[in-house]
This record gives sequence, structure tokens and C-alpha cells, in this order.
Amino acid sequence: MKTSATEFSILGGSREFHTELPVGQLYFPAWERYEQAMRGIIERRYYTNHGPLVKELEARLEDFLHVRNAVTVSNATIGLYLVELGLGLKGRIMMPSFSFIATAQAAVLAGLDVTFCDVDPSTHQVTPATADRAVEAGVSAICPVNLWGGSTDIGALTDWANDHEVALFFDSAHGFGVETRAGKLGTFGRAEVFSFHATKVLSATEGGCICTEDDDLAERIRNMRSNYGIRRPLQVPLTVNARMSEGQAAVAIAGLDELGERIAHNRAVFDAYRSAVSGLPGIRLLEPSNTTWSNYQSAVLQVSEDEYGMSRNSLWSVLRAEGVLARRYFKPGIHRSVPFEERYPQYLNHLPTTDQLCDTVMQLPIGSLVTSDDAGRIGQLVVGAHQHADALRAHAG
Amino acid sequence: MTGAKQSVDDLALFGGPVTFGAPRSIGSLADPDPEKVLEYSRIFYDRHWYTNNGPVNQMLEARLAEWHQTERCVTFASAFWGISLAIRHLALPGRTEVVTPSLTYRRMGEIIASAGMIPRYCDVDPDTLAQTAETTAPCITEETALVLGAHPTVNCCDAAGLERLAAQSGIPLLFDSVESAFETVGGRRVGTFGRAEAFSIHATKLINGFEGGYIVTDDHELAGSLALMRGFGIRSEDEVVSFGINAKLNEVHAAMALASLDGLPDLVERNRARYVAYRDRLDGLPGIVPREFDPAEQTSFKNVLVRLDDDWPFSRDDTLAILQAEGALARPYYSPALHEHKTEFETRFSHLPIAERVSRQFVLLPCGDQMGLGDIDVLVDLLHFMVDNARPIADELARMGGLEIHTGYDPVAVNPAKA
Repeated sequence: MKTSATEFSILGGSREFHTELPVGQLYFPAWERYEQAMRGIIERRYYTNHGPLVKELEARLEDFLHVRNAVTVSNATIGLYLVELGLGLKGRIMMPSFSFIATAQAAVLAGLDVTFCDVDPSTHQVTPATADRAVEAGVSAICPVNLWGGSTDIGALTDWANDHEVALFFDSAHGFGVETRAGKLGTFGRAEVFSFHATKVLSATEGGCICTEDDDLAERIRNMRSNYGIRRPLQVPLTVNARMSEGQAAVAIAGLDELGERIAHNRAVFDAYRSAVSGLPGIRLLEPSNTTWSNYQSAVLQVSEDEYGMSRNSLWSVLRAEGVLARRYFKPGIHRSVPFEERYPQYLNHLPTTDQLCDTVMQLPIGSLVTSDDAGRIGQLVVGAHQHADALRAHAG
Repeated sequence: MTGAKQSVDDLALFGGPVTFGAPRSIGSLADPDPEKVLEYSRIFYDRHWYTNNGPVNQMLEARLAEWHQTERCVTFASAFWGISLAIRHLALPGRTEVVTPSLTYRRMGEIIASAGMIPRYCDVDPDTLAQTAETTAPCITEETALVLGAHPTVNCCDAAGLERLAAQSGIPLLFDSVESAFETVGGRRVGTFGRAEAFSIHATKLINGFEGGYIVTDDHELAGSLALMRGFGIRSEDEVVSFGINAKLNEVHAAMALASLDGLPDLVERNRARYVAYRDRLDGLPGIVPREFDPAEQTSFKNVLVRLDDDWPFSRDDTLAILQAEGALARPYYSPALHEHKTEFETRFSHLPIAERVSRQFVLLPCGDQMGLGDIDVLVDLLHFMVDNARPIADELARMGGLEIHTGYDPVAVNPAKA
């Protein structure tokens, strides 16, 4: 624990962590498990095109999520794109600007216009109220994002979509394993898309999965994903390459076996953060919203500059200097990024909560490379930085 | 594998035993040395760096650029998305059409459509089966944004001729060189032609990287743009500077591809032996004419492509049905031609007689590492058996309703991985 300002690395003190701690889950199977999987694949001589491991993974995902169709894909961005084409969407799609940029890029790839909505300042999620404020003529679908290991209010958004007669599907990239009062994420809306990127709790290094209760939609998507793994041939807008390989599936299957342990570890890390920063003025550790069970994908810290004594950016600089690779997702908001800023200037200064969150939120390390002890020490850095805010602020900008 | 056929009833299509219990496909499906795969994997594993331009991917890009004698290489999750992004970058602004041969990869139209462009299909030369400057030039109009040249599966197109056409017309030239990763054209390495060239490392291709692709180029600006676009256009932590998607190659696939590259010289030797065996054994069989690799060029000898002439006593489709039922997953060559595909996206073309004729005449025979030299003997014996029993087989086909008997037959369903 640093007891004076000069002990902070940014003021010349020694670094708290000599090995930098990243944001992002970065779980991977034990080497022996990986080695066994790779040898098995090479012995089977079956590398891709809907092989036995992909089939096994899809079956296990359907079983785990209690969903009729789990269609694995090469990554979640292409997954969102396939859902949009599969639903035959036209015109505008509504989504939060407070999301990873891929949510909107998929829509561009699908030839759609984007309507950005704001999010709730407390949960960071899309709500019927934020959707109401943004809805406009031509919106044919809404894609709320289940953010941070929390969830949107699924029931309320389902009602909203029904009332407005628009298609509802979810970007659940962060949400694998998350449970809500209505059940696990994966079965809601017309479809949900999970990410199995290395930074997610279930990793295929790259990868993703489209889940839907709609067998016809699933079959359309299978036909667009590849020629392989289809159950009946259909005329679809186009068939791309969105296949998951046997190598990716092997990593994900091992991850499913470990999922309980991974989430338990994340939870312990999250609890350590909570204990450390609880009651600290101007600091809020975001609790997963609308869930009965979170995967603790993210440890999100919100900084109120006036009460805490320094800005989010200053605290971020202090932590980075200590070897804590905190991230400032989503800075800037999608509506302030290329090409959306130029294409949709109407959203500049019209998404106040998004702009505010982009300036005040950061993610702390959580996942396989972070221990509870690390989280406690990071929490102590946040506490110490508050105590020495005046001295640190001058150097942290 | 079962013994030689004694009677027509022994054909698997008519209920006899299947010749190849484990189907033999037209894909390379070369097995890399597992020790090498693990050795490369250890590099990303120890650094907990599983994707996002990881250390093994960087090694792979450096190695491929050197191999193709180019300045840069950018990898992708698949050749499909690599080409799609390259079209976005290279297409002349304000124009709508991409010219590509009708006789090429069956998803080429989709690739072009995914980039927001309209494919315009050109014809091919009857001798090389490839597009030429002469077949391409008539398709170039005020709407042409890009020429997407494609090499056939045996030998290459006249890449230098297309380069001259591109220079004269001012239209950018990109190559789909998926089938020609190892080749030279006029002694010049494939990879160095046009603005850029695209390759696949799908398991069925010469370099097995599970799934994936790459583009090589000497154009640093293009390479930089592609590297951005494959990763959401993100330049630095908080900075998005261009349109992008996720088309990144992961580290497991990169490790596999590097191990496959290590094994490539041996694979090409095995391919050569297979090719020579096919060529020698097919000699004397009426109506089956193998495409010969140009001995003056470097080649991988990967694909075995034959033309079925009038002397061959069966239709192309009946031939395929008989072979596929035996587990010899021969495939029609680029059939139907792309302009004959029924698609929801718009396509443009005029009369393309050569592409149509070739698409009905040629067959790819099983090749790659699943096809041992002994298997080639067995397959050619089967072809001889078909010739020797042409009449009773034809009668049986007719009795069973001719083509009706196999329209429902789907080799993909039998063995999706290896088709």
C-alpha cells in the first residue's frame, strides 16, 4: 500500500505490478489439454467445414443455454451481420452508441442505416425510455447490447419492440453464461449473438455463436455461414465464409468445461475490488444489472471527478503507470467514430449519457491473469490515489 | 478399401461395396507435423496472446511476404473477407462493377457483393481455361471499379497480360491466386502481380491453417489499410480511423499455417508423385484427358483436373455420381459457371460460351494427402472398369431413372469436412 504521493509510480515511485495486468479474460485451456486437442484433430485429419468438434460445441451450447439453435461463427461481428441479413432487415437499425464499434460496423456491412440511442446512466444499458427518445421513421429493428456481464431489462425491451413492431435481437457479446430472472441469455428476441473472442469468458481465440429459438432463421443463417453444416438448402441473400474451425471449437469446448471455475474466479476478483473501493467518494464499481447470475466479464469503475478528486483520465494514467492496463471502453462513443461521426452528425451532443459515460468510465483488469490479491492491491491504488489526489493530479493531467 | 469390381452390381451406386471407406476428396488436407504446431503454439501460449495480431501471426506474415517476394503480407480470418476488404480499398470511387471470370471460385460473386459491388463476369480462354486480357477487355466500361483476376486450378492466367490491360485502362487489378500459391508465371513469383494478390490457408488448400487467408502486396498503404480494416479500423487503443470489421486470423490458425509451410517442400514432392501417377495411369484411357502442368514453371502439382471428351462413355454427371458413391469425391470443375448461379444479388454478364462449355466438361479428381499412390491405381482401375462395362452400366443407370438416381446424392452430407 502506497502511503505517500511520491510512492506512486507516476511521481517516481516503484511500480506496483512488474508484470502488466490486462483487461480481458484471456482464459485458455491448460497446455496439456490444448496439446491433446491439437493431436486429436491432426489424427482425425478433420480441420474445418463443420467438423465433429464444431458439432459437439454447438450441441453443448444448445444444452447449456437451453436454446433450440446455437450456430457457431468465425466471430461475433460476422455473427451480427448474418443475423441482420437473415432477418431480411431494411432501413434503419437502432442500437446504443455506448458499445464496441463492431455493433455498428456489422450493420454497415449489412447495408443498414444506424439510429443511435442513449443508455441509462445507472445501468449503462438500453431501456424503453432511451429507445423512445431515439426512435424515428424507418427503424425496422433494435439491437440492444447486454453490456459488461449484466443484462438489459429483456421483458421491457421485448414489449417495446412488440409495441413498435420492430425486430428485436441482442448483441450479447459480453453475456455468455449470464442469467436473468427470465432465464439465461441466449433465448431472447429473434436471436442473440455471443462473442468467443479471447477477451471473453468463453474463448475460442476468435469466434462467436448465434442463438435463436427460430428454426427457420437458424437455417437461413446456416446457409449463409457456409455450404457445410446446413440441414436443408435455402435461397439466401448470399453465402459467405463464417465458419468456425475445429481448432477454435477445441479451445471453446475446453472453456465450457472450465466455465464454472472461470466465473468463480472472476467473481472473487470482482468481490475483492468491491471490498477495496466500497464507500470511496466519487467511485462506483458497477454491479451487473438485471441479472441473477453474472459472468463478471467486466469490472467497470465510474469516476465522479468532483467527489473523487481527479478525473477518470487522471486515475487511468496513475494506474497505467503502476502496470494496471485499465481501458477506457467505449471512448469515443461510436457516434463520434469514423465513419459514423460524419455520416450521422445529428447525434453529436444528442446522446448526453453516452458522452458522459465515455468520459467517466474505465475497466479494471479481471480474468485469468488477475488474482483477488491483485484486485485488492489495485483497489488500494484507487483508494490511495484519492487520498493523494491533489499531488497526483498535477502529474496525471 | 474393397477389392476390384467384378460385376456392374459391385458398383456402390448400385448397392455394391464402397471402394474408399474413408472418402477421398479434392482438397489438399495435408497434415502438419503436430510437434511443429505445438512448437509454434507455445509462442502465443506463453505470452497469453491468442489473437489481435499476435506473435505467431506476425511470424507468419513475415514468412509469407518473403516466400512470395513481396514487401508486405496481411492475414485474415478467411480469403473471403480478405478479398472483400481489398475490393473496398482498391475499387475506383463512384464505380459499381468488379470484373472477374465466370469460371472461378463459386463464392466470388458473393465476395464482390459483400463489398457492396456488382460482379461483371467475363469469359475464359478455351486453351488455358483462364481469363485473358482479350476476354477481360470487353467487360471494362465506365462502371468498372476493379478487375479481380483469378488463376485456374492448373497453371496460371496470363498475369502480365492483365497487368498491361490494367495499365492501359487505369483500372486497379487484384488477383485471387488461391489455387496458385506456389507457382511462377514466366518465372515470376505469383504474389508479385497486380496491386495485390489473395490466397487461402483453408485446410483444403496448399497451406493448411484450418481457416484463413492472406494478401501480399508491395503497396504499403494498401497493406496498412487492410491491417486496419481487419481489426475494426482501430489504430490505437482509443482511436478508430477507418471502416472495419473483424477479419483477424487467430494464433491457433497461424501456428497451424506455419507448421504447414515447414512441410510444404515434402508436400509438393508427394503431389508431384501423385500427378505423375495419374498422368501415366490415365494414358490410354479413352476420353479422359488430364490437364498438364507447365514444366517451365514452378508449381505445386496440387490439383488433378481432367476433361471428359466424347470418347468417354458417360455423361459428366453420371461419372461423378458413380465415383462419389465409391467415396472418390470427384467434383465438377467450377460448375455451374458463376453467371449461371441463381442469386439474390445483382450480377452482370453477356454471352459467355467458353465458360459454359468448360463448366460442363471438366472434373477434378481426388488429390492431396488422402490420396495415396495405391489409391490412384484403384481409382484408375475403377475408371477402366466403367469403360469396359459401359453398356451394362448405362443400362442400369437408365433402368434406375438416369440422373434421377443421384440428384439427391450429396457428397457434402457424406463427408462435409473433406468435400
